[in-house]
Formats: sequence, C-alpha cells, structure tokens
Amino acid sequence: MAKLLNLLGWRRRRLEDDLDRELRYHFDRRVRDMMDAGLSEPEARRQVAIEFGGVAQVRENVRDTWIWRWLDVFARDIRYSLRSLSRSWGFSLGAGAVLALAIGANTAIFSVVNAVLLRPLAYQDAARIVALEASWTNTGRTSREMSGPDFLDVQAQAKSLEVMAHSAGEDELATVVEGRGEFANARWVSGDFFSVFSQRPAAGRLLAPTDRVGDDPTSVVVVGHHWAQTYFGSSEAAVGKSILVYGRALQIVGVASPGFRYPEAADLWVPDGPTNRANRGRHDLLVVGKLKPGVDLASAQTEVRTIGARLAQEHPENRFEAMNLLSLQGRLTGHVQTTLWVLMGAVGVVLLIACANVANLLLARSSARTREIALRAALGAGRGRVVRQLLTESLVLGGLSAVAGIFLAALLVWGLVAMSPPNLPRIDEVRIDLPVLAFALGLTLLSVVAFGLLPAMNVSRLGVSDALKHGGSKGVAARGRGLRSTLVVTEVALSVVLLAASGLLLRSFQVLHHVDLGFTTERVLVAYSQFVATNDENRRKRIVFYRDLLERLRATPGVRAASGVAFLPMGRELRPAVEYSIHGRPEQPAGERQKSELQVIAPDYFRTLDIPIRLGRDFNDGDTPDRPKVAIVNETFARMAFGAESPLGQRIRIRPTDPWMEIVGVAADTRWRDPSAPPPSELFLASLQGAGGSLSILVRTTVDERSLAGTFRAVMREMNPSVPVEIETMDDLFAGALAYPRFRTQLVGGFAAVAAMLAAVGIFSVLAYLVGQRTRELAVRRAVGAQAVDVVRLIAGQGAQLIGIGLVVGLAGALAVARLLEGLLYEISPWDVSSYVGAIVVLAIAAAVGTVLPAIRAATIDPLVALRHE
Amino acid sequence: MTSPRFPIPQGTLDMLILQILSLEPAHGYGIAQRLQQISRDRVQVNQGSLYPALHRLEQKRWLKAEWRESETGREAKFYALTPAGRRQLAAEKASWNTLTDAVRLIFNEGE
Repeated sequence: MAKLLNLLGWRRRRLEDDLDRELRYHFDRRVRDMMDAGLSEPEARRQVAIEFGGVAQVRENVRDTWIWRWLDVFARDIRYSLRSLSRSWGFSLGAGAVLALAIGANTAIFSVVNAVLLRPLAYQDAARIVALEASWTNTGRTSREMSGPDFLDVQAQAKSLEVMAHSAGEDELATVVEGRGEFANARWVSGDFFSVFSQRPAAGRLLAPTDRVGDDPTSVVVVGHHWAQTYFGSSEAAVGKSILVYGRALQIVGVASPGFRYPEAADLWVPDGPTNRANRGRHDLLVVGKLKPGVDLASAQTEVRTIGARLAQEHPENRFEAMNLLSLQGRLTGHVQTTLWVLMGAVGVVLLIACANVANLLLARSSARTREIALRAALGAGRGRVVRQLLTESLVLGGLSAVAGIFLAALLVWGLVAMSPPNLPRIDEVRIDLPVLAFALGLTLLSVVAFGLLPAMNVSRLGVSDALKHGGSKGVAARGRGLRSTLVVTEVALSVVLLAASGLLLRSFQVLHHVDLGFTTERVLVAYSQFVATNDENRRKRIVFYRDLLERLRATPGVRAASGVAFLPMGRELRPAVEYSIHGRPEQPAGERQKSELQVIAPDYFRTLDIPIRLGRDFNDGDTPDRPKVAIVNETFARMAFGAESPLGQRIRIRPTDPWMEIVGVAADTRWRDPSAPPPSELFLASLQGAGGSLSILVRTTVDERSLAGTFRAVMREMNPSVPVEIETMDDLFAGALAYPRFRTQLVGGFAAVAAMLAAVGIFSVLAYLVGQRTRELAVRRAVGAQAVDVVRLIAGQGAQLIGIGLVVGLAGALAVARLLEGLLYEISPWDVSSYVGAIVVLAIAAAVGTVLPAIRAATIDPLVALRHE
Repeated sequence: MTSPRFPIPQGTLDMLILQILSLEPAHGYGIAQRLQQISRDRVQVNQGSLYPALHRLEQKRWLKAEWRESETGREAKFYALTPAGRRQLAAEKASWNTLTDAVRLIFNEGE
C-alpha cells in the first residue's frame, strides 16, 4: 500500500526530504572531520564536494532504487493478477462486461460533451471570439440580434474589441445559377466578417470593408467551397462567374476555405453594411467580434453592458432590456448544454452502480478466497502487501475493461451521432481523441479505487487463524455482509433516481408528443418555395403565380386540399409579431398596443390543415387586392381583443397609415409555431390581397403524401423554373421539434434500463451468496420441519429489506434530482407521482427477478445432502 | 582519494553493510567510516553507491531506518538490521565462505 502511494506526491516528497537531510548530514559530518584533521573550512568543503562527486547523481541513484523496486513488485502483482483473474474467468468476464459497459457509455457521452461544449471552436484564437447580443422588448419578444445603428455605436465605443462584424442569415434564399433556380444558404455579412475568424480564401479573395453593398452593379459575393464545387466543379472555376441572388447579379470574387463555418456551413456571403440599416428598432444583425489580446471576457462584458445601458437611455424608443457579450462557444452551444449535462449525469450514475456491482462481486469473490489470502498473510505478507495485491487485481480488471470500454465507446459514438437531433451543433466533430482517452483512463482509475478499495481493505482486516480455521465460511463473510448490503442499497437507490428521472422525461415526451396541435400533420406535404419579387409588377405576378399553382395542385388526383402559408411552423421561419389598433377605441402609443403574431395565408388554409372555423368564413378567391381588406383571427386573439364581444365585423389595423381591415372569421387555436408553447394570439391576412411574400405550399393528400412529391415538384418547375422549391412532409417537420426531448428520453431511458438490470444483478449476487453461506442453517431448518415456503420467505424477506431501504433512499434522491430537470419537463411537474410509481414498479420487478432464483435455490436444498457435505 | 582502493564486487557492498549494522545501528556516514576503519582503509565506499544500497536494502525490508539524535547532537537517519536482514546476512556469509573456500582451494591447487 505504502509503495503504491510512493508515486503519489506527498509520499514522494517526504522521501525526497528525507534523502536530502540524510545526505546533508553526511556532507557536514565529513567536513567537520576534515576540519578536525586540520583543514580550513573552505578547503574542507571543497574536498568533500569533490569526494561526493555530485550530490544530484547520488540522489538520482537512490531514486532509481525506489522506482525499480516498485516496478518490480508491480510487475509481479500484475502477473499474479492475470493468473488469478483467468482462474475465475466467470467472475472476470461478468465484472469486466459491467465495467466495460459503464466506461464505454461514459466515454461515449463524454466525447460528445467534449466535442460540443469543451473543445475550443475550430477557429484561430477561438477563445477571443465573442458574440454580442441585444435583448429587446419592442414587440414583447426577446431577440439576440442587434440593430445597425447599435452596431455602429458599439463598434465606435468598445475598446476591448479588436474587430467587430455582423451577419444576417437567410437560409434558403432564391438564387439563379447558370439559368436554374436553386436555394442557397446566404449570409449578409460586413466587410470584417472573415477577419474575425482569421480566414484565408481557397481561391480569389474574401470580402473587404471596401466592397460595395446594396444595389451597386459592381456588387460581389464570396461563395462556399462545397457550393463552388457543386455548381462549377472547382473553386478556381467559380471565381469571376456571375450569379443572381434574390434577383441581384453578383460577381463571385472568392471562395471560402473548405472547413469554414459560422455558425454552420453557408453557401454565399454577400457584403452588407449597417449603413443601410438606419432603423434602430430593427434588430436583425448577429454580431461577432474578437477581443483584443489580453482582454478577458469579464471586462469586455462589463464594457459592452455599460455601453448598452447608455444606448438604452439615449434611445428610449429602442426599448432595450440589455446588451450582452458572451463567448461564441457559449452562444453556439447554450441550448444543448442542459441536455448534454443531464446525459452526462445519468451515465455517471450508471458508472456508480456498475462500481457498486463490481465491488459486490469482488466481495463475493474475496470471501471465496479467504483461505488463499489468509495463507499468504500467514506466510508473511503484510496487510499492505495483501491490499496492494487485491488492488492490483482490480486495476488489471479495470484496465482490461477500459480497453473494451473504449472500443464500445467508438461504437456508441457512431450510434449517438446517427440518432442525435439534426441541429446539435458540432456533432460532426465528435470523435474519440486524446482528451477523451484521458477521461476514460481517469474514470477507470477512479472506478478501480471506488470498487476495489473497500473490498480489499475488508479482506485485509481478516484474522489469519480465524480464516484458516473456518475454511472461509466465516471471517470475511461475516464482515462483508454489512458492506454488501450497503452496496446493494446504494445500487437500488441510484437506480430509482435514474428510473424516476427517465420516467419524468418519458412522461413529458409523451405529453409533448400527443399534444393537441390544433391541426393534423398526417398526409400533408409542405413545399417551401421562394418567388423573387423586387418591384410591384413582380409582386402582382407572384400573387397570380401562387393562385394558379394552387388551382393546378387542387386539380391533381390524390390531392384533397391545397393552400399556402407565409411562415412555416417549428421555427423554420420566425413569424413577425405585430401591434394592432381596434377601430372605435382610443389609439395607444406604439409599444403599448395589443400584440399578436402575424400569419399570411391563401384560401383553404384551414380546410387543408383540418382547423375548424368557429365563426364567419375563410378567405376566398374573391378577396382580391382591390376589394376591402379582410382578416381572420384565432380564438385567443378574439378573447384578448374583444372578450365576450363578437369579433365578426370588428375592424383593426396594424399601422396607423393602413386601411382598416374587417374581421370576417374566427379560427380555432393551433400550436403552429411551437408545440410546447401555449397557442399564441394569431392574426391571419390574405395573401391574395397582397400581404406577405412567398408562400410555402401545403397539400393535403388522400394517398401517401410522399408519392406526390415528384408530381408536385414537376408542376412547380413547369410553371416557373426560376422558383426554387424544397419538399418535405409535415410529419417530418414536426418530428424535428421533438428531436431533443426524444434524444434525451431515449438515452436516459436506456441508461435507466441498464441501471435497473445492474441493480437486479446486484440483488441476485448478494442473495445467492447469502443462500450459499447459510446452506447449512437452511438445511437444519428444513430437517427440523421448516417448509420450502418458509425458506423462500426467509430469503425473499432478506431481499425485500434491502430493496425497501434502497427504494426509500432512492426516492429521496430522485425528488432532489427532479428539480434539476424542471427546465426540461413539459407540462409535467417534477413531483409527477406516476413517474415515481413507475420507477418503483420497474425496480420492484427487477428486484423480484434478482430474488427469485436464490430463493428457489434455498427452497430446494436437500437437508441430507447439505448436512453430509459439511 | 575518493575511489575505493580496490573495486568491491557487485553485491558485496550489501553484505558488508549488513555486517556493519549487525554490530549496532548506524547512519550512512558512520557506516562509511566504519567500513574504512575496520578494513584499515582498504575499503572506501563512495556515497554514490552507499546510499542507493542502503535504500535498496531498506526496501527489501532487511533494514529499517529511523531518525534519531546522533553523537553530534544533530538528527541523523539510523539504519538497523531487521530479523529478515539478520537471516539474509547469515545466508550471505555462509555462501561467501563457501565461495572463498572454494576459490582458495582452486588457487592452492594451481600453485
């Protein structure tokens, strides 16, 4: 034991100090002796120094003896351990499998945590790259984007930033490349954008602050590497070509380097400047910056917050809540942190249970080895020596399991990446690298201490004569029982915690999954399209295009209904919130009027999605631009705006300069935007009357909706080839919303199942062992008339006691943990009774399985055989 | 002179240390002094081999060490034989005697 700690710091330091003192003593004595012989002190010192020939060398030689001795013993222990483990291969395999599973699962989850949350972003000086955010309340919503004027102010005033840039994203922007309409992920970025990330071009040049912005005929664009290859074959070939981006001709001047992404890979970067964004209330810039070298995040944060507070005062119309600065990594991964840490916690609990299990197995095994160990002790092995031997065995077991676990982790990572939610940031960077291996190694060592130390200490306390005399049936056994029971209780308790947590997540997921959206998603195809219109004439054409398209689609066989909608659900497009005033009521100042979400739809929207119209009518082809403007509201809108009054015939408007719109219908509420949020107030405007821009087409089919995707695409291409289109099913669209809850529910559920299994194994091993120990006693009981039932009751009672205590402790733990999960639960209280009952039931079943076999064995003991055997 | 008058064969130093310590516990310096005195200056051991040997023997549990006050009043690390060390010394002495006897016999035969 002491030698094992040799390499640990304190022990090592003490040895070093001792050696120093020892050598110094020798040196001083020699000097004194020489001085006694008549030398002067300096001369004596000189002589002795020569004689010593380098104290460092002496010290080094001594140190070698420590290490070699240690390694020698260690090597012998390892050889012995391997022999001993292979002798009881059943135990080794079982314990090894449990450990490998736990280490593998932990390593896999950690590799995700490491890649997503811990590893620095793949930019030069990534630690200095920050994101700036402005929260605002203009329309009752918060936003992280900043407005152009704010950007310029911060840029001028912030001294902690070396460079600042903004980008505004537009996924799936219509472009025309070589005559074909295609979607591209475009970013409108300022000239310094690429220098924040210290990027170099793959070909041509990147953007510069001098690049013209707006409708300048000399406008340029930088394209992505992958995009350039897709459309032009190579980066070089793309440079100099011209493309149409939302109707504007732009010349490609450069190609970004292949790996560049912020926040994800984009296809186009169009130069943009805040000059054309004079409106302080329009927050649409994602702002990034780079700290000056040596400036820390906290001081930069303070500075930006101060500037934000000042701007908020100077421009009250802007209604800032606050400005903030955070690391770019924090912004990119903030939304997945909780999920990942919960998973890490859950899988950590599995490891704890596994350790308890292996400790249990070790205890069982050590009691079987009592004689061997007692013999070694009798032959002169000290207590430390025995403990070290047992610990080395654990270490060898742990090491082998770790190797298996790392292979398992590689498999699990592959599975995790495959099942991960689509927008998990940086998931493609997940791999098993050095930090992950180091983590696995550290975890293994910790586990070895956790599962190996207790049993080893326990065995070593054994009295030699006792053990030899009783042939291993007492001694360790008697001692071990309390410890084993504690371990089982721990296992049960931890399993309950994990089961309850997974129960809560599962319940929440179920609720979320079965939430009444207010419309049906089955057999609905969604075609995202974009009709570029930059002038009034084109806007008129757009109305006609969509009207004709819907007409043709409605006539297609297999189509029950078709309509269009401006803002797709599930956050694919942020729908604007608007303020409105009601005719006949006093006009409120801007910012204090009623707010509602805005939606623009084509006729038949409600019928296509099976949304009931409660009052009035739907839009129809008669609602043209030249007719009086009409609107439809949902029930929440009606309730908030008019209370008990009928909304029909009421008139509202959004801007004071707009004409009044008459409300002609009231539709049922839906959870269109986000299934986990209560239905918001919604105001529907008619696309036929010119509201909104491009539409996403919705088609309700009577056949499998996927079979119509081809026809659908062909019709759109035929009507206007420059309108890009993307088709998916409504079900898929909504499946994305559940991706995170599903991901964590599946994983935590999986871990909980493993935990319950391990707990069952733990209970089994303890009870089986107990029966083994008490064979003689049970046989005597049977011999004097106890029935099989009594024996079963006895053993099952023992099991029930352990399980009962474990359940109680576990429930307390689960209640404590539940509060941490609160943020992940949807409409389920952390005290949801059914989750806890479920956890108890599952565990009780697992425990029962673990109890039955030993009980049966106890019941079938033949008294004659058992007693004669003794 | 710092080097021994003649090289001490490998392993012999250990035995000599054990022998010196079988008389009474001593610290490193004392052991070196005594080796020199008893051998009438024929054996001189340098610190570079003495201290590693002492630590090696300690780790083999043939010696045990403790810090206590030396004759000069300062604390020194005193080494003493353990029972195992005493047995080891006996064994080594026996085999050494056997060996030297054998060597002498062979040498005498050759004269």
